[in-house]
Amino acid sequence: MSGLNGLFGIGSNALATFQKALSVTGQNIANVNTPGYSRQEIILTEARPEDGRPGQTGTGVEASEIRRSVDTFVEQQVLSSNERLGQFGASQKALSQIQLLFNDSNDQGIAAGLNEFFKAWQDVATNPADLTARTVLLTKADGVTKLLNQAGTQLSAQRVSLNGQVQSSINDVNALASKIADLNSQIKLTEVSGQQANDLRDQRGRFLNDLAGLVDISSIEDATGQVTVFVGIGQLLVTEQKAYKLTGVANVANNGLLDVRYDGGTGPNTDITSAISGGRLKGLIDARDTTAVGLQTSLNTLTSQLVSQVNTQHRLGYGLDGSTTQDFFTASGTTAATISLALSDRQKIAASSTAVGVPGNNVNALALSSLQTASVAGLGNTTFQGYYSAMAGSFGATIQGVTRDLQGQEILHDQLLAHRAEVAGVSMDEELINLLKYQRAFEAASKLITTSDEMLQTILTLKR
Amino acid sequence: MRVADQQMYGTLLGNLQRSRLQMLTSQEQISSQKRVTNPSDDPSAFGQIVLDKSALSQTTQWIRNINFGTARVDAADHALGQVQNLITRVRELTVQASSDTTSAEGRQSIAKEVRQLQRQLVQLGNTEVAGQAVFGGTKTDVTPYTITAGDTVAYQGNSETQSIAVGENQTVQILVPGSSIFTGSTTNLFDSLRDLLTALEGNNRSGIQAGLGNLDLATAQISDAQGTIGALANRLQVTHDALDTATLTITKSISDNQDADLATAITQLRLQEVAVQAASQTFTKIFDASLLNYLR
Repeated sequence: MSGLNGLFGIGSNALATFQKALSVTGQNIANVNTPGYSRQEIILTEARPEDGRPGQTGTGVEASEIRRSVDTFVEQQVLSSNERLGQFGASQKALSQIQLLFNDSNDQGIAAGLNEFFKAWQDVATNPADLTARTVLLTKADGVTKLLNQAGTQLSAQRVSLNGQVQSSINDVNALASKIADLNSQIKLTEVSGQQANDLRDQRGRFLNDLAGLVDISSIEDATGQVTVFVGIGQLLVTEQKAYKLTGVANVANNGLLDVRYDGGTGPNTDITSAISGGRLKGLIDARDTTAVGLQTSLNTLTSQLVSQVNTQHRLGYGLDGSTTQDFFTASGTTAATISLALSDRQKIAASSTAVGVPGNNVNALALSSLQTASVAGLGNTTFQGYYSAMAGSFGATIQGVTRDLQGQEILHDQLLAHRAEVAGVSMDEELINLLKYQRAFEAASKLITTSDEMLQTILTLKR
Repeated sequence: MRVADQQMYGTLLGNLQRSRLQMLTSQEQISSQKRVTNPSDDPSAFGQIVLDKSALSQTTQWIRNINFGTARVDAADHALGQVQNLITRVRELTVQASSDTTSAEGRQSIAKEVRQLQRQLVQLGNTEVAGQAVFGGTKTDVTPYTITAGDTVAYQGNSETQSIAVGENQTVQILVPGSSIFTGSTTNLFDSLRDLLTALEGNNRSGIQAGLGNLDLATAQISDAQGTIGALANRLQVTHDALDTATLTITKSISDNQDADLATAITQLRLQEVAVQAASQTFTKIFDASLLNYLR
């Protein structure tokens, strides 16, 4: 193939190669903003030379590979950063909503309700014969029960809503797992014929990152280019073309809220709820089963102590109508959601410590109002307010911690993405330079062809 | 090191967003004038605010209690002052009646005046505040002193007292029952007056003289009660003053923990504005520096 034909060959090879190089550049420019896209690079090599005299003659250029620039170590870090980002993000959002319970800064919260309640008792103690003060007390007592009811119901509703999010996250996990399995098979098919499945790999990488945002995973790539994904305690989520499922199964012991179970093909029989250690699912489950439950427990403790302390004292006293051993709050309603007033008749408010002291005797009302400052054994020897304050404080510290974690992780994630972009990101300047470079080369190669054509013409004219 | 477009825009965007978030926080603080609205803003301060607000509601309530108690105690004090004046008048009349020179008719007419005074004293014993008897013990719903037969006066109240809360585990008595003022352990004013009236109308000089002694006993007994009530009024006043000071201290503490320091918040906002401006300018500079602008 030496001679002029060879020159033609070199020219046309070069044209084709530079055209390919230009389309790779074009692909890079077009995907400069595509999330998860990895920069591609054309690898040019010399074509196999021909033997001859005095030595080998080159046969031009060829594109040996279109390489995807990717740093697997950074990719792995981005993946685990996504897990934490998903977890902290979900926690932070859930806790911020729960935090709305503590609207004490506008004097609308439970603390203010308790204050009003005890103040009303003092008014009754100060003027035990006054019916207005008694009516106010019943209204304020009703107010504090409503506030507690509302908090209790809201917390339950929050848990249910978080539960719904757990279910939709499980669905997302399953959808992503089957997409990854699909891509596994496509990548294998593409690469078995010696091709580079660059864009498919980018897509799969993106899905893996999305998956990591939902649940903590570990993944390894095998020799055929397929990834195996593990979830929970080493359960296979994706292997080759096969995706397994996670299922939400109602747990009766947890108010029918969902456990996350792994279905390895034999039914959803492996509970991995507590093995999940990252991703959105972790954040949701933590908020649902730890933080919200903790608050619920504290609120219920506060409520049951309030009910029992007030009732115990109230039963000792006498109402204006001589009634005694009356419960103030319904004795059975000892949770925040169920506390209610037992008393509806203001005459029965037991302000007096004696039957004969009515209406002016206020000893029992005084004892009741002093509960406000009494240390309650059932609350760890703090006052009602002290207990509530500590509860709000510790919840605040939790949410503050999560918010800080989230902010820190966001910065770290930005840095990791920058790190990733350093290797895999498209630099417009670089691509523009490549564009010019390959365009010039393309022009030169076409010049080569016209030159060899002219030379051929010259030879052809010799014959005449 | 390669610098990809994503790096520049991504980093810039992240920083811009964070600065904007901080600006939002500062703006919220400035507009609400509160630094702490949620537990997460400052957990320990939030806890302290809850406790302080509770303490504040207690002190305001104690002040409210004291105002109520003071009205009762002042009414009692005022009534007893009048009682003493009336007894003094009765005593003058009794002294006059006990004189040798006073005739039986004179004693009769003195008896008439004494009876009027006795009726006034009964009325004072039934002093009420807002419809509630002050001297009836805790039987605030009955008229403590009623004239039963002739000049006999019966006590319908009881001997219980009432105290109000004026501080943590502190109470002050706001009620002295009539049974320890008019009809106390030393002497019974109304019995003495009844006996005096009988003596006056019966022209019984020794009875009248005995009545004089009883009146002195009654005066002493009522003075005692006045002393007690004065001391109570004083305690209420002193506690009120202390609570006023406490209220100020607590209010300040709440404000310290909760309120935004406007100067700081505004300075912060300015700083963040500068950061946002700088980032925005960097953005346009990066854009200017792009090779695209030089390739024509």
